[in-house]
Amino acid sequence: MNVPVHLQPDETFVLNLGPQHPATHGVLRVKLTMDGEYIVRAEPVLGYIHRMHEKMAESGTFAQFMPNTARMDYLHALAFNHGWALVVEKAAGIEVPERAEYIRVITVELNRIASHLLWWAAFLLDLGGFTPLLYAFDDREQIVDLLERVTGSRLTYCYMRFGGVYNDIDDEFITGTRAFITRLRSRLPRIYHDLVTHNIILIKRIKDIGIISAEQCRRYGATGPVARGSGISYDIRKNEPYSVYPEFDFDIPVFPEGDSMARYMVRMHEIEQSLRIIEQALDKLPGGAVMGKAPKMLKPEAGYYYSAVETARGSLGHRLVCDGDKNPYKLKLRSPTFSNLSLYGEVAEGMLLADALAFMGSLDLVIPEIDR
Amino acid sequence: MGEENLPTSVVQFAQLDTLLNLCRANSLWPMTFGLACCAIEMMCTGGSRYDISRFGAEVFRPSPRQSDVMIVAGTVNKKLELAVRTLYDQMPEPKWVIAMGNCAISGGPFKVKVNYNVIEGVDKLFPVDVYIPGCPPRPEALLEGIMTLEEKITGKRRWPRVQAA
Amino acid sequence: MDLTETTHMALAVLFPGDAVAPAPVLTDDAAEPIPFGVSVLDPKRTGTCLEVYCRPDQVVEAARILNDEGFFLESIAGVDWLESGQLEALYDYNRLGGASCRVLVRARVERHEPELPTITDVFPSADWHERETFDFYGIRFTGHPNLIRILLPEDADFHPLRKDYLP
Repeated sequence: MNVPVHLQPDETFVLNLGPQHPATHGVLRVKLTMDGEYIVRAEPVLGYIHRMHEKMAESGTFAQFMPNTARMDYLHALAFNHGWALVVEKAAGIEVPERAEYIRVITVELNRIASHLLWWAAFLLDLGGFTPLLYAFDDREQIVDLLERVTGSRLTYCYMRFGGVYNDIDDEFITGTRAFITRLRSRLPRIYHDLVTHNIILIKRIKDIGIISAEQCRRYGATGPVARGSGISYDIRKNEPYSVYPEFDFDIPVFPEGDSMARYMVRMHEIEQSLRIIEQALDKLPGGAVMGKAPKMLKPEAGYYYSAVETARGSLGHRLVCDGDKNPYKLKLRSPTFSNLSLYGEVAEGMLLADALAFMGSLDLVIPEIDR
Repeated sequence: MGEENLPTSVVQFAQLDTLLNLCRANSLWPMTFGLACCAIEMMCTGGSRYDISRFGAEVFRPSPRQSDVMIVAGTVNKKLELAVRTLYDQMPEPKWVIAMGNCAISGGPFKVKVNYNVIEGVDKLFPVDVYIPGCPPRPEALLEGIMTLEEKITGKRRWPRVQAA
Repeated sequence: MDLTETTHMALAVLFPGDAVAPAPVLTDDAAEPIPFGVSVLDPKRTGTCLEVYCRPDQVVEAARILNDEGFFLESIAGVDWLESGQLEALYDYNRLGGASCRVLVRARVERHEPELPTITDVFPSADWHERETFDFYGIRFTGHPNLIRILLPEDADFHPLRKDYLP
């Protein structure tokens, strides 16, 4: 709940949070104007990890940009791979074999769970709990092992190709994934919910903190768990179905409260939904090739293209402009947390500093994705 | 590696310094300074499977004034340059720097022709003791880097080297 | 009437008279001006349902219409058309929830005098997007409350995503 601020202009002071601060999850900086413990004005300062991805996209070929995608949102790298592959396939008119799309969905959803687990660990670390991190990383390492087996790397995947994926999955991956689903399903209620979700300390800390209204989400363009925690049922996987998502039966968890607890619950339920998707995808997995026919050197027709995918943090859009050459003429990445963070200033106004940090954690920020 | 690699101070007490260095090497306090992707692997190293506390280096401090090794885990750009320099200057002596990942070593994938914003290696800003290549390096590589730093501090390796099979 | 048609009707107000819907043209040739208007695109092919190409002074009106229709601003992107000496701003709009209808609003300004009116009064999210476009391309958004660098250092004196920029 926001407490009214009785502000005397000469009684405020400026507090600099970051760029090196453990609660900013990287190198975000927030300039806070404080009235005692209450925030009068919060102004995020970006750019401390701006790494020129959009310029690099223009200066290389389409395929050369694939490794960059994983380094923007390293927690959900495969969704960024997927987004880039989809927009180029759309522009160049490349067909993808069905098996490849299934494998893409399986790996992307595994990666989404890993991302949510890491968010869970880091969020609770922000709130002062270290133990959950040890549980979450235990489960996350299982996913990393599975993905490493098929993609070859632990974190910054470069797995997708235009027209498919570069490596087929094997039986060991499938049995391992099934075993992991059983394992996480049994651990979710016992460890994650009993230990943390129903914990009174957590509830007192994040319930009714950082309330975002549905209208605020629209005005600031917030998507993903932030919008779904404010009662908006918006998920690209359902609203603009791409890949083979229409084949699966899954729900979009929506919580209307708009507080940090609602966003927490959305992510916890999304883990379960992702498990459902993976299970169905493994059951229905078709045979065939994992790589379709794609020309070595792509030269898509001139034009404006847009493609969106749902990452763990919201809607990721690629606005691609081609001029018929072998390089993208312009690529604009609409990164979800850039928009999600832009409402921080408005919502944090009048909050206690400690609450504002809990609120920041609930937004699930990945700074290199904001700065690109 | 020998005596000449000991951290220098104006007055040397041979036996005491050896003892102190042994203590320092066995309880390195790294500074939490996650910049980008490598920070996640740094977290994994501190997590349940790799468990950096087996080597006494698990006390991650958020303040540079309480830490003695800075693990630069990620890309440093021109906007952040000043902050990183300040953090290094704020650390008390003796201090060491580990450049984790290709970005911290040389700019990594961002060392390109159009580079307008990325610092090509943190050794342009301050001296680096251990370089750990990888994009990002695996947790095992970071542990090996910590052992290499221990070796640099004490002059001898505490753990046996893993032999390639 | 589906969402695309309603939005098309609403946006057609921008172009009185029987403005012919132009085909999606992409040209870097100043000799061949693109006609203003609204066109319906194939979302399967381009990912966009409607494309509006308007005069620079019409972007605020377009934003207002889309705001009334319940759209949200996804992003603003700049494009540098070096040969024709123009900079282009791309505004992407979409619906938050329900049926999807992606609208692209384009406006071009001269490269030597890049000025566009701000839409921050309509969408507060435009604040950061416009600052980023200013940062990368040097397009000045008149009326913006705080048009300073966002991603580059405050003292940077270049616009790196312009095609003729060399570090």
